[in-house]
Amino acid sequence: MKLRSVPIVALSTFLVVVQAFSQVDPGPRGGPANAGGPLSSVAGNNDPPTILDFFTAGQDAFTEVSSVKGNFPGAPDDGLGPRFNGLSCVECHAQPTVGGSSPAVNPQIAAASAAGATNVIPSFITINGPVREARFRYIPDAAGNPQLNNPDGSVHPLYTIAGRVDQEGCTAAVISQPNFTAAQANNNIIFRIPTPVFGAGLIENIDEETLLAYRASLTGNTLGITPNFNRNGNDGTISRFGWKAQNKSLELFAGEAYNVEMGVSNELSPQERPAGLEAKTNGLPAPCKINKTPEDHTNFNEPPVDTISDVAKFAMFMRLLKPPVQQVSGPNTVGIVAGEGIFVEIGCAKCHKVAFTTGPSNITTSLSNAEVKLFSDLAVHFMGSGLADNIQQGTAQGTQFRTAPLWGLGQRLFFLHDGRATNLMDAITAHSSPGSEANAVIANYTALTLANKQNLIYYLRSL
Amino acid sequence: MSLLLMILLSVTAPSASDVVTPVPEQGSVAAGRYRNAYFNLSYPIPAGWTQQPAGPPPSEAGAYTLAQFALIDPEQRLRAHVLVTAQDFFFSLIEMDEAKDLVAAIRRGLEPVYQLEGEPDQVTIAGRTFHRLSYRAPRSGLRWRILSTDVRCHALTFTLTGGDSAALDAAEQAMRGLSLSGKAPLCRSDYNDVVEKTDPRFPNRYNTIPVRVIIDTSGRVKHAHLLSAYPEQSEAILSALRTWRFKPYRAGGKAVEVETGMVFGMPLRAAR
Repeated sequence: MKLRSVPIVALSTFLVVVQAFSQVDPGPRGGPANAGGPLSSVAGNNDPPTILDFFTAGQDAFTEVSSVKGNFPGAPDDGLGPRFNGLSCVECHAQPTVGGSSPAVNPQIAAASAAGATNVIPSFITINGPVREARFRYIPDAAGNPQLNNPDGSVHPLYTIAGRVDQEGCTAAVISQPNFTAAQANNNIIFRIPTPVFGAGLIENIDEETLLAYRASLTGNTLGITPNFNRNGNDGTISRFGWKAQNKSLELFAGEAYNVEMGVSNELSPQERPAGLEAKTNGLPAPCKINKTPEDHTNFNEPPVDTISDVAKFAMFMRLLKPPVQQVSGPNTVGIVAGEGIFVEIGCAKCHKVAFTTGPSNITTSLSNAEVKLFSDLAVHFMGSGLADNIQQGTAQGTQFRTAPLWGLGQRLFFLHDGRATNLMDAITAHSSPGSEANAVIANYTALTLANKQNLIYYLRSL
Repeated sequence: MSLLLMILLSVTAPSASDVVTPVPEQGSVAAGRYRNAYFNLSYPIPAGWTQQPAGPPPSEAGAYTLAQFALIDPEQRLRAHVLVTAQDFFFSLIEMDEAKDLVAAIRRGLEPVYQLEGEPDQVTIAGRTFHRLSYRAPRSGLRWRILSTDVRCHALTFTLTGGDSAALDAAEQAMRGLSLSGKAPLCRSDYNDVVEKTDPRFPNRYNTIPVRVIIDTSGRVKHAHLLSAYPEQSEAILSALRTWRFKPYRAGGKAVEVETGMVFGMPLRAAR
């Protein structure tokens, strides 16, 4: 077929008409990543001395690939599996740079068969879809049917090391992938995508008193917003990391993820992790317990920066990682400025609280008494039946989620806890459903003119 | 949520000692009116407005989202909406004793993006005093009219929002048809003249359990409403409250029913 040229005037007229009837998400902002790298007080390596060395060592560990014994070419870290979702931290925390969220090309496709592994790729993992972890609502029986008197909620890693050249005796005869087909058929599965970790040290250093005072200030709000906090089961303090704010600290967050997502036992999660029915019955098959535990540990004979474990390195890397920087420039600048006001006026900023101030830090100056423009109250909120995943974590219930920090939103590809939305309009409207605290705010959004909705989108893409 | 599902998932939920006594979260819509037996409220839904998705369950801090209605035009643009909420003064995170305090708190908390259309004032609707606040947001073109009144130690609040002033006028006018009449117990903050009790034993899960109780003229707990509790906590507290005896509350020289609040589990705020 011969292509015909379309006059530019006609095309632009068409676009104007389209824009007059609906707002458009311009998509992830291009150009350099407005995030990543060390905090400013860390970059000079003198506040305190050698701190940049720890950041760099942490970033190196964050990007290293794991294999079962650490002797596979290009994969020098040991401890992978026997069950896992990915081969390194960075492959999931990649967009727009190291420390971010799900990238455009899903690395879980390649991980399925890396080093000869023989995994079947579940249908919900696609090459251009989000990186996903899967959780089951109920523990399935041997046939894959959910046992309704046996609530689950835990992560069922996608893959096993069976078939890999370094699997030793952990073959497909002794370990198998979860039955994802049955879980999907029985509506027994939910998904989570990686949370970005930029600026995580600032989030970690916000005092509880600051969060509690903000929550109290929302008393009597005219939007039906009723924030609560997820609390650590041992000491009752506020936890704040993860989609349900289930992790108290970055070190816990890192230790749990290393074990759950990559199968690497460590000093915070010292045992290899069985999953599902396996965890409730006999545990992992003996041939799959290949390495001594914990696989990641303090390295007593290494020079100082490498003495600490990988988990401690990951935590320090995230802690010292600078936050995303808003970009107010380009052809949509007027809309961005207008959208900032809209964001506050319609009530988004009640939960997506624009900024807090950290407490004094004993680690480095940039973390101390610093403004944190995270766009979150770090509280959990009832988000309605539309977003509910029916997974309980700590005191956060099946319909409750932490207010997702919006910094860095401008360069993200996937939105909401399971990555279901790829544009901001869908992400916004998904906040409204029966039982959601956001219903009145979304009603306000629905009342906006198209131009104001568009400005709000421009603003969000500037973050 | 069914009790079986609640137990299986072990989630917090409201519960009560009986299913007959009205509780705030149990309103319903019929024949063009929103009715709530607890508040003795009958609210005429403005003509053409439709019910919107329900809000969240009652909060640990005594906040209720009771109902929401909206006027949506044929192009699916929302012209205006009204959110009906209630704040229980016994469990508020900040000190407040009447609806006037709540409206004042909203006034104090308004960000600079909003423009006041008038300082808080009082209006009479259906024979009751409402505290009214109106403000607007110039950039979005939205306007707010907040009308709050005192009922059973709650601020019962109607928040009208939208960009269509005529629709807001009509909705405010329609409120003239609401009624808030009927018998209810006296409500008293911290009425804790307990003469006999057994403390409930339940697992600490770092949650706050606000409980409203109605004490009868003999000093027994006639009704208890837990706004938020895990099932095993609810069972333990309801069981314990059956053993409690209060000194009967007296007003006008005779014993009368009284409604008060108590908190189990994690405190909401420092003691007054």
